[in-house]
Amino acid sequence: MKKFNKLLIVGVILTLMGCNDAIDIRQVGRLDAANAFKSVDDLQNGLLAVYDEVDLTPEIALSANFTDEIAIGFDSGGQGFALYDFVMNAASAAPFDFWTRNFRVNNRATILIEAAQNITPSDAAEQAMYDDILAQAHFIRAYANFEMLVYFSPDARDDSTLAVPVIDFIPGLDIQPRRNTTGEVWDYINSDIDIATSRIETQSDPLFVSLDAINALKARMAMTRGDYPLAETLSSQLLNSYGLANRTQYANMFLDNDNTEVIFKLERTVNDSYDGQTNSGSVNTGGGWAGSVFAFVNATLAGSPYFEMDRSVFDALDPNDIRYDVMVAPSSIISPDYPNDPSPITNDVLVIQKYQGSEGKPLMNDLKVFRSSEMLLILAEAKAAQNDLDGAEQLIKQLRDARFGTAQALPSYGTQQEAFGAILDERKIELAFEGHRFKDLKRLGVAGNRGVDRDPIACGIQSGACTLPASDFRFTLPIPIVEINANPGIAAQQNPGYTN
Amino acid sequence: MKLKLTWLLTLFMAFVMQFSFAQEKTVTGTVTTAMDGLPLPGANVIVKGTSKGQQTDFDGKFTIQVNQGDVLVVSYVGMAASEVKIGAANTYDVALKESSGLDEVIVVGYSNVSKATSKAATVRVSAKTIENRPNASFVQTLSGQVAGLNITTSSGQPGGNSLVNLRGVSSINGNTEPLFIIDGAPVDEDNFRSLNPQDIESIDVLKDAGATAIYGNRGANGVIVIKTRQGSFDQGLKIAYNGFVSFSTLQDNDYNRMDSQQLLTYERDRGLGAGGGVSNTLFASGAGRPALTDAEIEAAPNFDWLDFFFRTAVTQSHTMSMSSGSENASQFTSFGFQDTQGVLEDSDLKRFNIRSNINGKSNNDRFKYGVNLTVNYSKSNEPNEIGGTGVNRNYVLGAFQSVPYITPGDYTNGEDLVNFGTPFAHTPLFLLDRLETYTRFEEEVKAVGSLNLSYSLTDWLTARAVMSGDYQSEFLTRAEGPTSFNAFLFGGAENPTSGFQTQQSTRQFSYNQVTSLNASKVYGKHTVDLGLFTEYFKAHFRGFGYAQDGLDPATFHPGDGSAFIAPAGGLFADLANANRLDAGLFSYFGALDYDYDERYGFGATVRRDASYRFAESNRWGTFWSVSGRWNISNESFMDGSVINNLKLRGSYGTAGNQDIVGLGYFGGPDLTLDLFTTTGGYGNQNSIALAQLGNRSLKWETVTSLNVGVDFGVWQNRLRGAIDVYERVTSDLFQSTPLSAVTGLTSQDANVGELVNRGFDFQVNYGVVQNIDGFNLNVGLVGNYNTTELRDLPNENGEIIGLGQNGGILNEYYTLRYVGVNPANGNLLYLTAEGDVTENPDADTDRVWIDKNLTPDWNGGFTLDMDYKGFYLTTQWNYVIGVDRFDNDYAGLVDPTAAGQFNASTDLLRAWSQPGDITDIPSYNAANLNSFPGSDRFLRSADFLRLRFASFGYNFPTKFLEGTGFSNASIFVNGENLVTFTEWRGFDPETRTNVSRQYPTPRTFSVGFELGF
Repeated sequence: MKKFNKLLIVGVILTLMGCNDAIDIRQVGRLDAANAFKSVDDLQNGLLAVYDEVDLTPEIALSANFTDEIAIGFDSGGQGFALYDFVMNAASAAPFDFWTRNFRVNNRATILIEAAQNITPSDAAEQAMYDDILAQAHFIRAYANFEMLVYFSPDARDDSTLAVPVIDFIPGLDIQPRRNTTGEVWDYINSDIDIATSRIETQSDPLFVSLDAINALKARMAMTRGDYPLAETLSSQLLNSYGLANRTQYANMFLDNDNTEVIFKLERTVNDSYDGQTNSGSVNTGGGWAGSVFAFVNATLAGSPYFEMDRSVFDALDPNDIRYDVMVAPSSIISPDYPNDPSPITNDVLVIQKYQGSEGKPLMNDLKVFRSSEMLLILAEAKAAQNDLDGAEQLIKQLRDARFGTAQALPSYGTQQEAFGAILDERKIELAFEGHRFKDLKRLGVAGNRGVDRDPIACGIQSGACTLPASDFRFTLPIPIVEINANPGIAAQQNPGYTN
Repeated sequence: MKLKLTWLLTLFMAFVMQFSFAQEKTVTGTVTTAMDGLPLPGANVIVKGTSKGQQTDFDGKFTIQVNQGDVLVVSYVGMAASEVKIGAANTYDVALKESSGLDEVIVVGYSNVSKATSKAATVRVSAKTIENRPNASFVQTLSGQVAGLNITTSSGQPGGNSLVNLRGVSSINGNTEPLFIIDGAPVDEDNFRSLNPQDIESIDVLKDAGATAIYGNRGANGVIVIKTRQGSFDQGLKIAYNGFVSFSTLQDNDYNRMDSQQLLTYERDRGLGAGGGVSNTLFASGAGRPALTDAEIEAAPNFDWLDFFFRTAVTQSHTMSMSSGSENASQFTSFGFQDTQGVLEDSDLKRFNIRSNINGKSNNDRFKYGVNLTVNYSKSNEPNEIGGTGVNRNYVLGAFQSVPYITPGDYTNGEDLVNFGTPFAHTPLFLLDRLETYTRFEEEVKAVGSLNLSYSLTDWLTARAVMSGDYQSEFLTRAEGPTSFNAFLFGGAENPTSGFQTQQSTRQFSYNQVTSLNASKVYGKHTVDLGLFTEYFKAHFRGFGYAQDGLDPATFHPGDGSAFIAPAGGLFADLANANRLDAGLFSYFGALDYDYDERYGFGATVRRDASYRFAESNRWGTFWSVSGRWNISNESFMDGSVINNLKLRGSYGTAGNQDIVGLGYFGGPDLTLDLFTTTGGYGNQNSIALAQLGNRSLKWETVTSLNVGVDFGVWQNRLRGAIDVYERVTSDLFQSTPLSAVTGLTSQDANVGELVNRGFDFQVNYGVVQNIDGFNLNVGLVGNYNTTELRDLPNENGEIIGLGQNGGILNEYYTLRYVGVNPANGNLLYLTAEGDVTENPDADTDRVWIDKNLTPDWNGGFTLDMDYKGFYLTTQWNYVIGVDRFDNDYAGLVDPTAAGQFNASTDLLRAWSQPGDITDIPSYNAANLNSFPGSDRFLRSADFLRLRFASFGYNFPTKFLEGTGFSNASIFVNGENLVTFTEWRGFDPETRTNVSRQYPTPRTFSVGFELGF
C-alpha cells in the first residue's frame, strides 16, 4: 500500500508545482501595442491598414437609396424600403455608419500618426518614405473629417453651425465630447491637408494618395465651403493635367482597366477585406463589393438586382452617350412605352451595371474617389457661381462631347439658377451611383431648384414617396443614437428637425 | 450491422445457458408489502453475486433455482431491499418495507451524502426517465423533469445543441449554462451529440450555492452531475439489450398557406406574378401575356414544398451492455449504435459508442480505483444557413414560403436555372439544386475518460484524486459542387469552374484534476467531515483548415481534392487557416460539514480560484457558501405524525462565472491587452492593424444566491416533494458598455451592472393509487417561476435598447406599438410614446418598453404514470408561460410586397380594400406599409402546454420467460411532442428565437424492446 501513498504524494506535489502553467497563459500569435510599430516599414504596414478602413460604399448606398438614383427592383427582397420612404432618424443606419466609420478612420490614422512620433528615419530614403506615410495618414484623416462635416453640419458654409467633435488625439475611453463648430472642423481638416501637402512625395498615383489627390480634395472642399475662386484654380489645374477620357477609356475605367481620368481610387481586389457582399439594402454596408449595393449576384437581369435604375436617370441618358452603355446593363428589359405600360415592374427592368466587376469577380470594382470629370463639374459650378455662365456652358459641352464622341450642342443657361440646375442634372448622370447625389442636392439643390424627384410610376407603386425638397432637414444626418447612448450630453446638440 | 448483432446475441445466450444448468434446488415464495401485506408483483428476486434472478408475478410469487447457502436479494422501487439466506426450507415469504427515501445517496459537491443529511437544493433524475428516448442528446430529454431547469431545443437537427438554463438567465454575455460533469470529468456543455444517453445511471442537478459554491468560478449556473452505469462487485454477468425504431414528422402549423389556385387568384387580383400575367418564372411565363383565366388557374399544378424539404425521418438505436464483478473488480461495458434522421432533408446523425467502466479495490478495501472511459464517433449531416434569408441557402425558407405552382418537375439543372433568370419565385428550385449539389457534414471523435483513486490512510482520513480528460475532434467538410446553381450564379462567365470546398479540423482537449484529503469523524451524535482540495484545469484548442475556390466538375467529389483548380490570378488561391489557443484554471478549496444526530446540519465551503482570463487584472477570486438544515421529522415531537419526512434547508453563498464572454473555454482569452494584428490590408497587402483595446479591470461575474427550501414526505412518502425559494444576484455583469464613437469603438465590454433572478421551484409527487389489485397511479408536478430584474445599467438613462431598463426584465422588447388598421384608408396605425394613435410615429422616439421578452416566467411539467400487472403508461406534459416571440414566419406570409415571389397566408385576402373595412390586415398599398418595420405587430405569445412524452409498455412476467434464457423482457411504444396546446401559429412554439425560418423540433413515435439475460 505504501506505493499508493507515494503516488498520491507525488501527484499532490506535481499539482501544486504545475499550477502556474494553467493560469499564466500567453496566447501565441499576439502583437502587443508596444511592439507593433518599431520601424518605418512597420509604419508603412500600419498605413495599409488605415487605408483599408476607407470605404465609399455607404455614401453610394445612401445617395442611391435616399435620392432619385434607384427604384425598388422586381427582384427586391425588401431591401432599403424605409430609407426609400425617407425615414431618417437617430436610430437609422446612415448616421450610425457615417459617424462611427469616420471616427474610426480618424482614430486609426491618429494612432499611426502618434506612433510615427517615436520613430526616427535613419537616412534620406527612409525620411522620404516616412514623410510620404505621414502625408497619406493626414490626408485620410482629413478626408474622413470632411465627410462628417458634409453630412453632419447643417451648413458647411456657415462656420458658426455645429459639425462634429474635433478629435486630433487618441482619446481615453471615457471621453464624452461635444460638437465643435463647422469653422473649427474646417480648421482641423485644413491643418491636416497642410501637413499632407508639405510632406507628400508623389505627384500622381491612381491607387495611393498623391499631391494630385490632395489638390482634388482641396478643390472639392473649396466648392463645398463656397470658396469658388480657389475651387476654380485647383480644378482647372487638375482638369488640365488629366483631361477627359475618350469613350473607350471611359468604358474601361469602370472595368478597372483604364486610369486616364482617375486622380485617385481605392483598390478593391480578390480576397481583400472588401471581397464579398455588402449588408444588402443598408447604408451600414459593412464594406463589400460596390455593385452589391444594387444587386445580390451580378450586374445583369439574372443577378437579382434588388435596386434598379430610376427612370429619371435612364430618361436623362441618350443611347449614344457612353454613359448609357456604362450604366445600363444590356440584359435590361426596357419597356417601349413605359408611361402606359400595364406592368412596369416586370416590363421595365433597368439593371445598373456601373459596377459589373473586375478580376473575375462580379460586382467588385475599384472605388473612384476623384475623377477629372468631377473636376470639370466643380469648375463649371465655380464659373456659374461667379456668374461666368458661358464658361459653364462650354465646360458642360466639353464633357458631353467626350461622352458622345461627337460634337454636341452648346447648352444655354439664362440664369445662374438654371446653370446650377443644369450642372446638377449633368452630375446626376456623370457621377451616378458614385455617392454624390445626396451631397450635391444638399449643397446646390436649393440654388439650382432641384430636389429628390423620382419617376412617379415606380415610386407610386412602392409607397408614393416620390419627391423631397433639397431644403428638407433630412439632408443633414442626425447625431446617431449610438453616440447619444454613450455621450448623453451631446443629445442637446442634435441637428434641427430631429427629436430625441 | 444486423448480422453482427445476431451473432453477438447467440454468443451471449450460450453464456447464459452455462449458468442456467448449474441448478440444485427450487425454492418458491411470495413477496408482499410490509405495510398492508398485499402481494407485490414485479419485485426483483436475485441470487446475490450472480445474474440469476427474476421478477415476481401478478400474485407476488417467485420460483427460483438456488444452492443452499445462497442469499436472495429482494428489491422493489421505493422499498427497502431485503436479503434472505437460503437454508433447508423451500418456501420463503418476504415482506418489503417502504423505503423512507432517506437512504437515497446524492452527489453534492465532491462527495456523496445521503438525502437526509444534504443541505442543498438538488434534484435527481434517474435512468428510468432518460432511457429509450429518441432524442440524440440526453439534455433534450431532461426538459420539464427538474424544477427550475429550463431546457429549450430550438432546432430539429439531430443532436443539436439545447439551451440549458437553471433558475433563469444569470448573465448577458457570459455562459448561462450549468457545468456538466460526467463521472468526475467536466465536459463541454454544448456538445452531447456523440454520447449515448442509455449509459446514464443518474443525473443530479445542483441548484443552490450550498451545492455549487464548491465548483467556484464554473458553478454559477448550477452543476449537473452525471453518473454512468457501473458494475457491482460479486455479481454474475448481466447482459442487457435495448433497441428502438422511431419515426419523426414535422409538427403542425396554422398559417393557412395558400394553394396554387388561391395564390394565383390573389396574384391576379394584385396584377402581379404568374396569376397577374407578369410571370418571370418557369410557370406561365411570357412577357405581355394576359392575366391567367379561371380555367388556367384551375389547371395549375399544386405542390406543397413542405413535403419536399421535410420528410418522415427514421431513427434506429441499439445499445448492448454487459456488466459483471468479482470480489475486487467490477466492470460495465456498453456498445451503442444510433442512426437518427432529421425531419429536414439532408440532416442526420450516425453515431457509434463504446463505454468501459471499471472499478477495483484492494483486499482490505483501503485502496479503491475506478476508470470510466467512453469513446465515440459520430457523423452528422447538418444543413447550415438555417434561419437565414438566403433564397438559395435556407431549405426551411423554401419549405415554408415557396409558391406551390412551381414544382420539382420544373428543375433540370443549376446551369439552366441561372440562365433562365433568378426570380425569387424560383426559391424552391434553387434549394432543390442545393440539396443535390451541396454537402456539409461533421465527423466527430469524442472521448471522455476519468480515473479516480482513493486511499484510506486511516479509518477517518482518505486521500483522493480524480483525473479526467475530455477530447473532441471535429472535422467539418463543406462543398458546393461546380455544377450547382450557386456555382454558376456566383462564378459567372468569367469563372466557369466555380464552386468551393472547405475543410476545417478542430481538436480540443481538456484535462482536469482534483486532488483531495477528506477527514470524517464521528463523536457520539456528532459527525464532522472536512475536505481540502486542489483543482487544476488545462485546455488546448488546435484548429486547421483550408478553403478552395474553383473545382473541376470532371473530378469533383466532396471531401476529395482532385478537382482543385490551380490558382489563376488570385481567383482560385487557396486560403489556409490555423489557430491555437490554451486555457487554464487553478483552484484550492475546503469544505466543512457537521451533523448532529441527523437532526441539525451545518456546512461551509470556501474556494479560491484563478483564471487565465484575468491574469493581467484580477487573477484570484474567492467564493464561499454556508448552508444548514433542520430535519424536523427526526425530532421526537414528530413521532407518530403522518409526516414522515420534513426538512428545512437554507443556503447562502457565491459562485463565479469566469466564462464571461460565453464562448467556452477559449473565448476572450486576453481581453485585458491592447493588441495589434498582422492581417490583409488595403489591396490585400499585409498590414498591421489595431485588433483590440484592452479592459484592464476585467474580472469574473459573481452570482450570489440565497435559497430556502423544504423537503417533505407524508403518509410514508406517498406524498413527497420539495419547495424552494431563491434569489440570485449576478454582480459585475460583463456587458457591453457604450463608448463615444470618437474612441474608434462604440462599446467595450466591462463588468458593470447587476441582474437579479428570483423565484421558486416546486416538485411534488403523489401516489394516488398504490397497489390496488396491482394497479398503481402516480402523479407528479414540477414547476418554476422566475423573474429577472436589471440594475445599474451602464447608461445615463438606465436603459439599453436590446437589453432592457433598470428595474425591468432582461432583453425586454423596446418597440413601436401597433394598434391595427385604419378603417378609413387601410394604413397601419401605431401609438406614439404618449399613447396617441398615429399613422406616422417617430421610428425612434415613439418606441416604448413593453414588459415582454423571450424568457419564460413559468416553466415545468407534470407527469401521470400508471402501471398494472406489467403494463405501464407514462406521460409527461411540459408547460411554458410568459414567452413572447415575434412570428416573423407569419409576417412573411402576410407581406403583400412578396406577391408573385412567395406564397402567402389566406389571411391576406381579408386585407383592407375600401373605406369602412374593419380588418387586421392593412391595405396592400398602405402608404406606411414599409416605413416602420420595427413594431410589435407580429409579436405573439409562445406559451404552450405540450404532451412532451408518453410511453406505453409491457414487462413480460417472469413465468413467460422461463426457459427462454431471458431474465426480463419488455416492449414499449413512445411518443414525443404528441399534442401541443398553444396560440402560436407556427410549427414549434418551443423554438426560442425571433429569427424566422428555423428548423422545428419534430413529433416522434418509437417502438422498441428491452431484453435482459
